[in-house]
Formats: sequence, structure tokens, C-alpha cells
Amino acid sequence: MPVPIVKQGDVLVASMQEALTDRALLDLRDRLSDQVGRFRARAVIIDVTALDVLDSFATRTLRGIAHAARLRGARTVVVGIQPEVAFAMVQLGLTLDGIATALDLEEGLALVSQPRREGAGDGR
Amino acid sequence: MAEGKVTWMSQAIPHQMEVDEEDVARRKEFLEFGADDAQALKSLAEIARKYAEPVIDEFYEHILASDETKSFFQDPKVLERVKRQQKEYFLRLTEGDYGPEYIANRLRIGTVHERIGLAPKWYLGMYAFYLRLVGKRLLEAFSADPKKAFSSFLSLLKIVFLDIGLAVDTYIHAREATMRKQQEAIRELSTPVLQIRERLLLLPIIGVIDTHRARLITDSVLRSIRATRAKVVVMDVTGVATIDSKVANHLIQTVIAAGLMGAQVIVTGLSSDVAQALVGLGLDLAKLNTAGDLQGGMEEAERLLGYRVVRDTDGATGGARPA
Amino acid sequence: MVGETRVAIEHEGDIVTARQKGRELAAAHGLSMTEQTLVATAISEIARNIVVYARRGEMVLGTVEDRGRRAVMVIARDEGPGIANPELAMREGYTTGNSLGMGLPGARRLMDEFELSSALGKGTIVTMKKWVR
Repeated sequence: MPVPIVKQGDVLVASMQEALTDRALLDLRDRLSDQVGRFRARAVIIDVTALDVLDSFATRTLRGIAHAARLRGARTVVVGIQPEVAFAMVQLGLTLDGIATALDLEEGLALVSQPRREGAGDGR
Repeated sequence: MAEGKVTWMSQAIPHQMEVDEEDVARRKEFLEFGADDAQALKSLAEIARKYAEPVIDEFYEHILASDETKSFFQDPKVLERVKRQQKEYFLRLTEGDYGPEYIANRLRIGTVHERIGLAPKWYLGMYAFYLRLVGKRLLEAFSADPKKAFSSFLSLLKIVFLDIGLAVDTYIHAREATMRKQQEAIRELSTPVLQIRERLLLLPIIGVIDTHRARLITDSVLRSIRATRAKVVVMDVTGVATIDSKVANHLIQTVIAAGLMGAQVIVTGLSSDVAQALVGLGLDLAKLNTAGDLQGGMEEAERLLGYRVVRDTDGATGGARPA
Repeated sequence: MVGETRVAIEHEGDIVTARQKGRELAAAHGLSMTEQTLVATAISEIARNIVVYARRGEMVLGTVEDRGRRAVMVIARDEGPGIANPELAMREGYTTGNSLGMGLPGARRLMDEFELSSALGKGTIVTMKKWVR
């Protein structure tokens, strides 16, 4: 089953489920790219709360999604990275440079509704 | 290194004490315990079987009479079981086989003693008492040939001291393992993560940071960020003993990981000397949002969170009374 | 090794299977949530290497005991093209973050012990362990 994409105003929210196949991730990237264009979305929020592992492939996919979104004028925020997952990513040397991050969906939505300013985790 | 092979192992993980065959052989050699001793002991087997029970009973009378040792054997079921095990131990001394199984059996004793908290001085005393009892019995058994009694006793001494050596060494090793665990518990306690305001955490780090502790700190901070939904963490390193490039890298990793959870970290207490030295080592400190001292860091944090702290000059909160 | 579970690694769905089994195993033997995640992530990286570079292989998951201590162990085998220079592949510069490198140094950082055995045309074996504290 493909990852559901929900539209909240001009923000697209995609919640990734546990155990996504590589194919599903690539499919998500393509659909988001398409929908950003179609709905002129301002931002894409990717919720990874349910993911217990974010490996190098998943991280590359997230970067790919952000890149595709940026090309169409939308910013991307990844939310819901769990403590253990953040820890493993850092040990592995994976970064989400250029992609904003927030604690959860609520924070992510708050982040994108503010005018862009110096804030937490802005992909530094 | 074998062709096409790369191996990597972490720092020492505490292993259970290793006593290999070579080590045992050396111990026996040093004690001058040899085949004739084994023979002598084996010939005592008959006598030992006869006197096992009475010796054990007398032995435990002594233990239960003494304040220091009786507390370990209050429970009658425990006492029963221990007496049984003692008898087995006693009889094994004269079975004649002092190989790997014998050794393994003896090693367990030290570990058990450490676990129940029986200090070496008491069980050494117990061994001494036990030897005296057996010595007397041997004299009785070999009344016609006291020299034989003595030489048998000497063989017995050797094997008992082999046992004591193994038991004490495993006790020490188990003690060290316990202490390591305690140290780790202390380490965990020594890095509290404090919630100063809503969405604001303070992490005062004091002491030495090694890789293990750094991981604990990172782990702890990340969990706290989730639990308190913190957006800013002030990490104060004023009290960190040495900040070399390794420690700085740990700090940077913590900052990056916190960032992945949407939290910003402000590092305070990094002296300009240290900062310069680290930059000189090629470290990119830009990721460490440094803000001078703790006060400066707190003010910056509050600003980021949209707090405005105003001093109430008319108020009666502490300080001098109004004139 | 005790309690072996074998997972055939042939397509990318197997990567998820392998890491889930890895997590279960780690949890069953007392590794913390964080350590479980490290194990699962390392498995994910290595399994992906098999799928991408060797196309087919297998992972064996289990535990080993060494002088009273237990470790979760993972052995990943494939009959792929092999790595010409294992030492180079393990060098820090080859991280997956930015390049299309094999992510071996990364996986190594996640585990306590890591052994790579490989040669051109001879396939690859990765053995990794995480000790239970």
C-alpha cells in the first residue's frame, strides 16, 4: 500500500510506515514531486515517527524528496526522528543537510507556518 | 593480517576471568603439586568419606557460632544446600582428578562468594579451620605412621591452596566487575538533564568524557528532548576536564543528533583558548553554537524561545526590603 | 553460534526482514532500544550491499558466548564480485552519506566487532558482533 499523502492547506504531509520497501520510497518521492507541482504546495512534511531504522538509503531518499520539492519551490521538513534512530544516524555519519527537522508533526506544521527565520534544526 | 581480511575490535569489554590450562599448570608447578600428591590424596579418599559428615558438622557449628559468618547461613534451606555442597567439595579434594572440570568447579566458588558478599578474610578463616579439623583426623587415622599423616597433610595443603588461589582471584575479578557496573551507574547519574523552562533543557557536563560516557550523554539528551519536547538545549562544558578533538567530536555528534530531532544546542563554557586549539586541529566548530558562558547561553536560549525576562524591581522576591 | 536464523538476501524486501529479525534477536538478549537500533541499522546497510553489489547472499543471525559474555552475531555472506581492496573499502572516506560507497566503515562504527573478508572474484563475508553489557 502506498504511503498516504495528506493535504493540509498548502502543506503536504506524508507519514512513512514501518518497513517501507525501497520501491515504496521511490514511489513516494515521485508522487510528492508531482503533487507539489499540482497543488502548488509550499511545504512537504515527512513524518518518520513510525520508522525504527533510517539507513543510508532512506536518508538518500529523503534528500531526493527534498531536492525534488525544492525544485518546485517547496521546502521539506522531516519530523519524528526517534532518539535511537537519531543516535544511529549520527554514528553512521548520515546527515540531513539542507532539510529542516522538527520533533513531530505539530512542530513541523508550526515551523512551516512561520515566516522563514533562524530556527531549530534548519539543516545546519 | 590474512589477505583480503580486515578485523576491527572495540576496546576491552570485560570478560569473565580467564584461567587457561597453562595458567593452571603454572599454579600447580609453583605449588609443587604433582602426580605423587594426586596419588597421596587419592589414597585418602576412604578416610575422607568416613569423616566427611562429622567434619562438615563441626565446621558449620563454628560458622554458626561466629557473628561474622553466621549471617550468611540463616536460612535453613540455604544451610542444608551449602552443607551438601561442602561435602561434595570435601570429597572432591581426594578424588584424584585435578583437571579442567575440577578447576571450573573451584572458579565458581569465588564468583559466588563475591555475589553473596562473603569477604576473603572469612572464607580464608574457614579454610584454616577446616584444615585443622582434617589434620586432626589424619593424625588419628595414621596414628601408627605420623610421618605419613604429615606428608598426606602437606599434599592436602597444596591442593587447598590451589583452590584458595583460584577462589581469591575470581573473587577479585568479580569484585572489579561489580565496581565497574557501579561506576557506570554513577556516570549515568552524573549527567542529569534538567528542564529549566518549557522547551528548554540544561545539560551541565562535569568531569571526564570518554566514548562510553559521551554515548550515554547523547542518549540521555535525545530521550529528554522527546520527553520534554525541548526545542533548545544548553550544554555547558565548563566542568569538563579536558576537551580534546575526540571530546569535541562527541559534542558535535550530540549537537547533530539533537538537530535531527528539531532541537538546537547551545554550547557554553568553551574557553576561547580551547576553541582556538580545536579550530587549529581542523575541527569545524560552526556546528557548535557556542555562546561564551552559561549565563550568555541561557539568555540566548530564552531569546530563541521567545522568552523575555524582565526584572521586577518593585517586587518583594528576596533581596532587600523596600525602605 | 547459537539459535541461528538464516535470512536469504535476494531482493530489497529481504533487507527489512533481516533487520527486523536482527532487532528481535537483540531485544530477546537484553540489548537496549538504542543498541537494537544500531544492530538493525548495521544489518540494513550490509544487507543492502549484498542486494546492490552481489545480487544474492544470506545473513545468519544468532548469539555467541565467550567466557561468560554473550554477543549478538551477524554473518553476511555473498558470492558476489568481491572487494579488491578491503582495507580501502573500510577507510573512513568511504561513507555512504555522500558517496555511493559501500557503507562499511559506517556499519563498523555501529557494532563492537567487525570483520571483513573478501577478495576479487571470491565473494564477501562480513562478521559483526554486539556484546550484551
